Amino acid sequence: MKQIAAVTADDNILSLAWSGDTLAATPSTGEILILDAASKMGSSLGGHGAGNGEPAWFGGSLATCGFDGKIRWNGREIHAGRGIIERVKASADGNFLGAGQGKALFIFDQDGNPSTGLSALPASVADFAWDPLDSSRVAVIGAGGARMWKFGESEPFARFDWGGASLRGEWSSCGRWLATADQTASVHIYDFSRDYPLHIQGYETKVRAMAFSADGKRLATGGSSVITIWPCTGKSGPEGVTPIQLDGHDGDVVAAAFSPKTGRLATGDGTGMVLIFTFEGDNALRKRLRLDAGISALSWHPEKDWLAVGREDGAASILSLDS
Amino acid sequence: MDRTPVTILTGFLGAGKTTLLNRILTEEHGLRIAVIENEFGEVGVDHELVINADEEIFEMNNGCICCTVRGDLIRILGNLMKRREKFDQILIETTGLADPGPVVQTFFADDEMKEKLFVNAVVTLVDAKHILLHLDDSDEAREQIAFADVVLLNKCDLVPPEDLDKLEKRIRSMNALAKIHRTTNAGIEIEKVLDVGGFHLDHAMEVNPHFLEEGHHHHHDSHVTSVGIEADGDCDGKKLNEWLSRTVREQGVDIFRMKGVFAIKGGADRIIFQGVHMIMDAANGGPWGERPRRNVLVFIGRNLDRAALNAGFRSCLA
Repeated sequence: MKQIAAVTADDNILSLAWSGDTLAATPSTGEILILDAASKMGSSLGGHGAGNGEPAWFGGSLATCGFDGKIRWNGREIHAGRGIIERVKASADGNFLGAGQGKALFIFDQDGNPSTGLSALPASVADFAWDPLDSSRVAVIGAGGARMWKFGESEPFARFDWGGASLRGEWSSCGRWLATADQTASVHIYDFSRDYPLHIQGYETKVRAMAFSADGKRLATGGSSVITIWPCTGKSGPEGVTPIQLDGHDGDVVAAAFSPKTGRLATGDGTGMVLIFTFEGDNALRKRLRLDAGISALSWHPEKDWLAVGREDGAASILSLDS
Repeated sequence: MDRTPVTILTGFLGAGKTTLLNRILTEEHGLRIAVIENEFGEVGVDHELVINADEEIFEMNNGCICCTVRGDLIRILGNLMKRREKFDQILIETTGLADPGPVVQTFFADDEMKEKLFVNAVVTLVDAKHILLHLDDSDEAREQIAFADVVLLNKCDLVPPEDLDKLEKRIRSMNALAKIHRTTNAGIEIEKVLDVGGFHLDHAMEVNPHFLEEGHHHHHDSHVTSVGIEADGDCDGKKLNEWLSRTVREQGVDIFRMKGVFAIKGGADRIIFQGVHMIMDAANGGPWGERPRRNVLVFIGRNLDRAALNAGFRSCLA
C-alpha cells in the first residue's frame, strides 16, 4: 500500500468524490479541495458558510452545496430556496443534478436550467437516490420511509411506509434494491422486483455506513464495530439468510465503500482504523491500516485500485493498493 | 467528553424571539453561537452562523407521540458536531406554533445527540400584552410555558404592573419550576438565557420555597399544572424505578416535563432525574454531604392527579 498524494483541509472530511484521477475532498466547513492525483496539483473551491454539503461531479465540474442553501458549479450559483442543502447528486447518465431542500427536490440540467422536480412533498427530503437505470425516477427518503417517484407523475410509483424515519438511501446499480439507513438502529431493504420492503433490526447503533457492491449483490452495513454484509441475490435477497459478519474494528464503523474495479470492501472507524477486505468465495481476507485520526470518509477510484481516505483531522490521502 | 449546551428558544408568534436572537448575536459576549432558525420564522435573521432549517418531525417508533424528534436537528447538529472548531452554544429557534416536545426529546432520545449535547434551557418568550388571548385556546401556547426552564415575560412596558403580577401568577401555576424574568424588547443579561445549566431544581426552590406546597396555586389552567412532591428519607430504588416507569407509560402523553432529586437507600450520592413525556434520564448528582436527604420531584403536565402522584411516590419510600 503506497500513498500517492495527500492534502489537508481545515476541518473534518465530510465527503470524497472522484472524477477520473481527480479527487474532491469536502470538509465540514471551509474550502473544498480538489487534488489531481496524476499531477499532484491542487486547487480549491469556496465553502458554504456554516457547513458544506456533500458535492457531486456534474458535467465535468464539481457541484457544491451547503448550509447557505446555495448550489455552485461551473461558475454558476443557484439559490433555489431558503434552507440548507445537505447534498447534491448527479443522475447515473450524468444529465441531471438533484438537490433536496426542505420538502422539495430540485432538478437541474447541465445548463443550470430547472427541470421537473418534486415539490410539496409530505416530508422533508432527508436523502434521495437516483434510479441508476432511469433518470426520470428517484427515491426520496425521509420521515415515514421512502417514496419512489417518476418525475411528472402526481403519485409515487412505489413506496414503503413505516412508523419511523429513514435518513440515508442507496439504490443498487442493478436497479433491484433500495437500502435505507434509519433513525433507529435498523435498515430497510426494498426489493423492486417484489415490491417488498424488508426491515432489518438488531444493530447496536444507528447505521452510519452503508454501501452496495458495484454489481448490487452485496450490501455492507455498519451499526456497530462489526460489518454486516447482506447477500442481495436470489429470489428473496437477504430475507431469511444469515449475513456475513466481519470484525476487526475497534470502534463503530462510520464509512464503507466497495471498489468498482476489484470488488474489495474498505471500512473505517472513529479510532483511525481502515480495514480492506478481499472476498474469495465465502471468505474475506483482511488488510489493516492504522491512521492517526478517526476515519470520516472513504472512496474508491472508479477504475483504479486506489482508495481515498478522509479523516476527522482534515487530512485526505490517496492510497494505491496496486501490487 | 464535554457536551455542548443547547438553548431552545420558543414562544408564540410576535412574542419577541427574533428580537432576542438579534440581541444574542450582536452583543459582545465572546461566545461562538450557532443558531438554527426555522424556515418559516417571522423575520429572518441574517448572520453567518444562522442556519435555516425546516422543522421536520420524525417518529422514532410506530405512532408513539412521545417518541417524536426533530429530524432536521439530528442531521444538522450531527454535521455541526463533526466540526473541528466547536461552538460554545447552540441556539434553536422554534416556530411560534411549534410544540417544544419533539425538540427537547431530540436531546434525550437520539444517542448521538445525547452523547454530544445537553439542553441548557428551554427559554419561552411570552408576549405580556397578548398572551391571554392565546392561553385559553392554544395548546401550543400552554405547552411552550409548560416546557420552559426560563420564561421571559416580554413587552412589560405595555402592561400595567398589577396585570403583570396576575399574569406571572398564572404562569407560575402552570410551571412551578421556571424562572420568570420581566423584560421589555427582550432585554435581558445574556447569561440568564445561555447559562441556565440544564437542571436547577434547587435554585427554583430558592426562588419560590413554597411552590411545592399542595393547594398553593390557584388553578386557572385546569389543563396544565405543576405537581410538586417533597419527602424526607430514602427511596427504595427498585420501587421508585417501577413506579416512574409505570407512571410515564400510563400518563406520559400528558406529562411534559419531570425533574427530581432522589435519595436512594444505600446510596451516598444524590440522583438527579429528569424526563420528557415517556423518556427518562438519571445522573449522579454528587454526594449528599451535610444536606438533609430530601427527595424532591416535580411533574409539569396536563390534567395531573396531584393526590395519586403523591401517593404513588410515597409508596416508594423505603
